[in-house]
Amino acid sequence: MRLEIESIDIKDILEGPKTYAADGVLSINFKELEKLILKDPRIKSVEIALVKPGENVRLLNICDVVQPRCKIGREDADFPGFIGRIQTAGSGRTRSLRGVAIIVSNPGTNRKEIGVLDMCGPIAEKSPYGKMKNVSIAPTIADGVEERDFEDAVKIAGLATAVYLARAAEGHAVDEVEIFDLDIPKIDPASPLPRVAFYYQMYTPQFDYLATSDPCFYGTHVRTLTPTILHPNEILDGGLVGWNVVKAIDTYSIQNHGIIKELYRHHGKDLNFVGVIGICANTEPESRTRCAFMAANLVKNVLGADGVILAKVTGGMPHIDLAVAGEECEKLGVKTAIFTQPLTPFGTLSDTILFNAPCLDLIIAASATFERTKVPWKAEKFLGGTAKTRIFCPDPIVQYAGDPVIDIEEYLLPGVLDCTGNARVIVKEY
Amino acid sequence: MDEKKLRVVNYLNQFFGQVGGEDKATVGFMVKDGPVGPGLALQKALGDRAEIVATVICGDDYFAGNVDGNAKEGAKLVASYKPDIFFAGPSFAGGRYGVACGAMCKEVGAQLGIPVITSMNEENPGVDLYRKYAFICKAPNIARGIPELANTMARLAFRLLSGEREMDLVAWENLPKPSEYDYFSRNLLRNELCDKSIAERAVEKLLAKLQGKPFESEVTPPVFEKVPPPPPIKDLSTCEIALISDGGLVPKGNPTGLATRSNLKWGAYDMEELFQAWEVAHAGYFNDHVLNRPDRLVPYDVLRELVKEGKVGKLHGTFFSTSGNCTVTKRCGEIGEEIGAEILRRGTIAGAILTST
Repeated sequence: MRLEIESIDIKDILEGPKTYAADGVLSINFKELEKLILKDPRIKSVEIALVKPGENVRLLNICDVVQPRCKIGREDADFPGFIGRIQTAGSGRTRSLRGVAIIVSNPGTNRKEIGVLDMCGPIAEKSPYGKMKNVSIAPTIADGVEERDFEDAVKIAGLATAVYLARAAEGHAVDEVEIFDLDIPKIDPASPLPRVAFYYQMYTPQFDYLATSDPCFYGTHVRTLTPTILHPNEILDGGLVGWNVVKAIDTYSIQNHGIIKELYRHHGKDLNFVGVIGICANTEPESRTRCAFMAANLVKNVLGADGVILAKVTGGMPHIDLAVAGEECEKLGVKTAIFTQPLTPFGTLSDTILFNAPCLDLIIAASATFERTKVPWKAEKFLGGTAKTRIFCPDPIVQYAGDPVIDIEEYLLPGVLDCTGNARVIVKEY
Repeated sequence: MDEKKLRVVNYLNQFFGQVGGEDKATVGFMVKDGPVGPGLALQKALGDRAEIVATVICGDDYFAGNVDGNAKEGAKLVASYKPDIFFAGPSFAGGRYGVACGAMCKEVGAQLGIPVITSMNEENPGVDLYRKYAFICKAPNIARGIPELANTMARLAFRLLSGEREMDLVAWENLPKPSEYDYFSRNLLRNELCDKSIAERAVEKLLAKLQGKPFESEVTPPVFEKVPPPPPIKDLSTCEIALISDGGLVPKGNPTGLATRSNLKWGAYDMEELFQAWEVAHAGYFNDHVLNRPDRLVPYDVLRELVKEGKVGKLHGTFFSTSGNCTVTKRCGEIGEEIGAEILRRGTIAGAILTST
């Protein structure tokens, strides 16, 4: 499977009579974009705005961040199952705009844990999205639409905007072409390089809002998915998207998946990348054990891996899925590197490990996603919410977006930490 | 700029405070003006920006006789000098002295909210007891190198007082790096910026493991103790049973303020009242079933049936509740001990049912 990602660097964005890109400037016709978003009858209206680094703006109720991307020369193939018709993602050519992101807000959400991004101040410094030129979209719900149904519409509106903007850059000079070419069946079995697989936890149902799982995989949810072999390009190219809420994960990070890109960088040099096992965390012990055995068997006996990286999504319970699967891999002779995300700011690193398995001897401190940070920065303008929007804190603190200081957990700040391994962050004892 | 001199109080034991040796270890608190003994080196290290206005001294045995009470008494003396910063020791490997220094730091820090700095050797029991409450600089195990230690302590003090944020921390706190400032970590975990991404480190370390080369885990896995189960109750029909849960079930309004994550508290609630109006303080599981029917977390309905049928003697009227979500195991153990002690104190409870999520 071969994927070419053609990147165009966007230096500025502006509102204009026509949507197109020239000389690194993306011009956007708001009316046309609005019309596109309002095609979905679940959306009554949408607020569109452009935000740039240094502006005194706080974006609220963020549910996703998306990089503008579209397939080249293939109609109806973008984000299959969400935008395009269902088909396998990950091959052919894809246009990608760099330096610009779509920040998707759901201003009417009743969820307590909402994503926040500032374009100035500490959060902007910490998040890569705070240094980009961004298109904020904030749809409002049409009468009679169910809350969860509307969430899907909002996310899809973000993906549709991504496709629309990338298409508009047709004809613009390409700044870089990245090739992701991996022919797994043809990897030489006699190669002396170790075969490495990636166990990828894509979702956890433990936070399911109103008892419904977020669709994130080819148009559907993965709650009932048993471990499945995926080609890494499917993940990079729109087969998998963000959840309906930012929890140290969003579509942009998945489109630029840290671990997949790193394994590609090493492929053919000091390892052979033999594929991805996509799984969902489990809330029940029986299904957890079943998934662990299946995943370990796929890693060892189907992909023939010598080593595996096991990465998790945010949450405590997903550690257990990871550990049980990791133990099974080690039992089968597959060497593991397993992620942990300390869940509390107290104790030693060792105190925070939620499993008891001496064979899991290589543990990566993959950031403490629930770390709290005090943001002493007062916003003047708000998008996707208002100064009165409540900001979540696990302690019973009542605080609002317009307060001079907010106390917020880092997993709610899109881009600051992400569960795909991009963050240059380690957890240390202080 | 005419900067006001920072006021400093130093704590020493009878020996370093130049009162006397072991024979004077029973003397109580006294205060001497200005720096004394190792305080002279500390004053030199602090230079013109800060002045040791007083040295509080106490005998090691006297202090050890009532650590908490004496810390309160000593802190009162310290407070009367209105310091901007407080130093204790260095106590090297001295056990009683280390505990006194740690207890003084803890109390002064809690009362005055000023930086508190001491210095000990890793063998000193004061390190593990008080590392959470004080910056404890690393000292040798015998009393030497006082000028160097004074420099280390002074440098850390000025760094803390500067209010400077540590930009290598994702949260940008005013928290200096333990390795850079040579102090024992304080039982805190922080996201720190790193040259390599999580993905880069994972692949690099896995490759080393695959190639049979030495590799360094970023976390040393813990060793858990095995807890033997107590013997079973022979006849439930004569027993009073208490219900305990870590599922975060609390009366409406969450009066004890249990946190939904990283909770450190527990509460004791009247069972009957709780089952009139409840909520859940726990963000680690899917709450809907419990919000609809709390009996599915805490089997109140089943227990009442069993009592009615005579199979269980009595149901204890208080429900013990905590929220076990991302709380470190050490604190979970303490909560268990606290609830256990309360249950024993009540005297009538023969058994408990713990339900979890």
